[in-house]
Amino acid sequence: MIPQRPSRNWPLIIVTASFLLAMTWWSGNGIGFSVVEFLCNISGGGRLLAESWPPDFSYLPRLADPFMETLNIAIIGTVIGGILSVPVAVLAARNLTLGRVIWFTDRNFMNVLRTLPDLFWAMLFATAVGFGPVAGALALSVFTIAVISKLWSESLESIDMGLPEAVRAVGGTWLEMLKFGAIPQAMQHYVSYALYAFELNVRASMVLGLVGAGGIGMILETQRANFEYERVAMIVLVVLVAVLIIEEISEAIRKQLA
Amino acid sequence: MSDQRGRIRFIDAGVTYPGGTVGMKDMNLEIEPGEFVVIVGSSGAGKSTLLRAVNGLNRLTSGSVEVDGETVSQREGRELRALRKRVGMIFQDFRLVKRLSVINNVLIGRLAHVPGWRTMFNLWPQHDRDIAIRALERVGIPEKAWVRASTLSGGQQQRVGIARALAQEPAIILADEPVASLDPVTTHQIMRDLVRINRELGITTLVNLHFLDLAREYGKRIIGLKHGELVYDGSAKTVTDEDFRDIYGREFTEDDLLEEQQE
Amino acid sequence: MSGSAIQNQNRIGGATWATFIIAALFLWSMWAIGFSPERLGKLPAQMAEVLGFFYPADMAYGWDKVLPSIAESIQIAWIGTIIGAVFSLPLALLGARSLFPKFARVVKLISATTRAFPEILLAIYFVPIVGLGAFAGALAIGISSIGMLTKLGSEVVDSIDFGPVEAVEAAGGSRVMALRFAVLPQVLPEIIAHWLFRFELNIRASAVLGVVGAGGVGGVLLNTLRYRHFDKAAAVLVLTIGIVLVIDMVSGEIRRRIIRG
Repeated sequence: MIPQRPSRNWPLIIVTASFLLAMTWWSGNGIGFSVVEFLCNISGGGRLLAESWPPDFSYLPRLADPFMETLNIAIIGTVIGGILSVPVAVLAARNLTLGRVIWFTDRNFMNVLRTLPDLFWAMLFATAVGFGPVAGALALSVFTIAVISKLWSESLESIDMGLPEAVRAVGGTWLEMLKFGAIPQAMQHYVSYALYAFELNVRASMVLGLVGAGGIGMILETQRANFEYERVAMIVLVVLVAVLIIEEISEAIRKQLA
Repeated sequence: MSDQRGRIRFIDAGVTYPGGTVGMKDMNLEIEPGEFVVIVGSSGAGKSTLLRAVNGLNRLTSGSVEVDGETVSQREGRELRALRKRVGMIFQDFRLVKRLSVINNVLIGRLAHVPGWRTMFNLWPQHDRDIAIRALERVGIPEKAWVRASTLSGGQQQRVGIARALAQEPAIILADEPVASLDPVTTHQIMRDLVRINRELGITTLVNLHFLDLAREYGKRIIGLKHGELVYDGSAKTVTDEDFRDIYGREFTEDDLLEEQQE
Repeated sequence: MSGSAIQNQNRIGGATWATFIIAALFLWSMWAIGFSPERLGKLPAQMAEVLGFFYPADMAYGWDKVLPSIAESIQIAWIGTIIGAVFSLPLALLGARSLFPKFARVVKLISATTRAFPEILLAIYFVPIVGLGAFAGALAIGISSIGMLTKLGSEVVDSIDFGPVEAVEAAGGSRVMALRFAVLPQVLPEIIAHWLFRFELNIRASAVLGVVGAGGVGGVLLNTLRYRHFDKAAAVLVLTIGIVLVIDMVSGEIRRRIIRG
């Protein structure tokens, strides 16, 4: 006897489908999405690209200093954020934390940090400490904590608790348990997440200047305001190449570690 | 044409893999419509190569294979698919889409029979759904039709695999080590299913087997392969231990017998 | 025993070197951008002072002006995600090394290039093309989503069981049918989960696009801070954090169910 085809969960399907449609309609309307407009303006885009070509290579030497500043910002952000993310991640890991209240507070702190994008932090720090690279470095430090601690606390939660418990059993302190039992097991993940954060930071540091937080983005903003598109193209090219190179390097390091 | 349907012929066929390994050499073999043939040989003897040459999953590097009186070797694309439509295949690892329902897995056997735009949107004609259900009935699990394939036991999954082949309404079924991942009890059930289907529907059936006692019990004609060459071809009734020793090139051990595995 | 001890020592040696290099880079960077210890010392006081200005938040401004601009950010993220999903799905299939070795290289190049562009640079180009506003933002988000989703999607495809693909082909099905019946059912749950995750990221990305005039809440924050309306900026932050938290929670829960389901 062949059973009847089980009936599908129609209410769920209908609710989901209408939600997706409504959301798309609302969004499309809201932003003025229009394929026609896009197609009509594509010639303008062509003109823009033509103006951007060829990139102004004579401008390249003057990019060296701001470019280094960008890398400096990314390095500082990754190091400070990387160090601070260790306690944040450990206390947010259910198996290692020091009590429910601390765990709950830290976890929410971490989630709140994650909600704000990098440029928001940059705007806030630029307001607090003034325009310039220091604001950018601070912004990326906070951003890095948000990135690493969330990912790493999940790795820490999945470690084998045998060794840490053994360290405790022979009279080790909580810190000794972390140092000898827990952290070595998740060290590789930490390095890989730190590299990932560095990639994100290099990318972010390129545009921080748009809100006055230092680096190559600051010149980008001036050249854009002056419609110097050959120079804009040159900057974009430099950013692109830098991001791709950093990605290759960190990919290579990750392979070495694995 | 009708006396050709289900006939397989290898003419001086050979397969040399890139790298120089010989998978098949000077194969001359004729299989009559409706035969039930068991192919034995140690691993690497070319059993899979032989089966997969029939539906063009492995290409010959010399000679030719004919199926239903038509040459397989030269076919590409649409022509090859038209031929594969008539040849069902059963795999050792079942090769089901685990996240799909059983019936949808069986319907994969109907893909070549239904226009592409209908299958794209899962709009199967009732006629083809009926064929799929009948195939499930033939392997005895119609009640599993709407169950996810991943929830079935190994034996049941292989039955779905057989039903998928049957849904093609094939002239030939190729079974590549169909029981190698199953326990002994299920193994016998699946082998009996294959024999019954061969008898009831007259589908030419080629089965690769590792276990000698199974070959003897279920085969009607046994073909022995060694280093890609045909070294034995005869009835299962008359095959001797001596013959098996020749095929395997060594004394055979308990590992080659299913019964011994059960202990 | 002694062999493993030596190996251990070597590894520690590597780690020490790495730490040393990183520390050197860090100190050089601090010096280069003028991040002096005095500056660091003044920091807590500065932060406390500015944070003081933020309280209390001007919530009336929040409901009237900020909420609509957050809604616009969500709309940008939604359309951007849809653009990304629609275009990345075929590209992800073509980019799977195990299915189409010939195309995979080209697709990988395309997705790597689009990913390398920060969204905001794309927006800088789209703003002159389609005009100031959210549409430009959605296109920028969409294009960078295509790159990322193609990469993740190809990885999902490459990790599946390819047995069923051969089963479809052995039954006389074409490559396209194999994609439809053997590949798609295996990869779709993971791919949809990636879409949702990308939507979460896109909300953050679209929030900053306002900085270059591409719509959304970022422009509002920039203006309130520029004119030192800290109570209004506080409203922006409070609402953004709250709404993004809720969306993260809901979307995360749906993702978990899809993967399990």
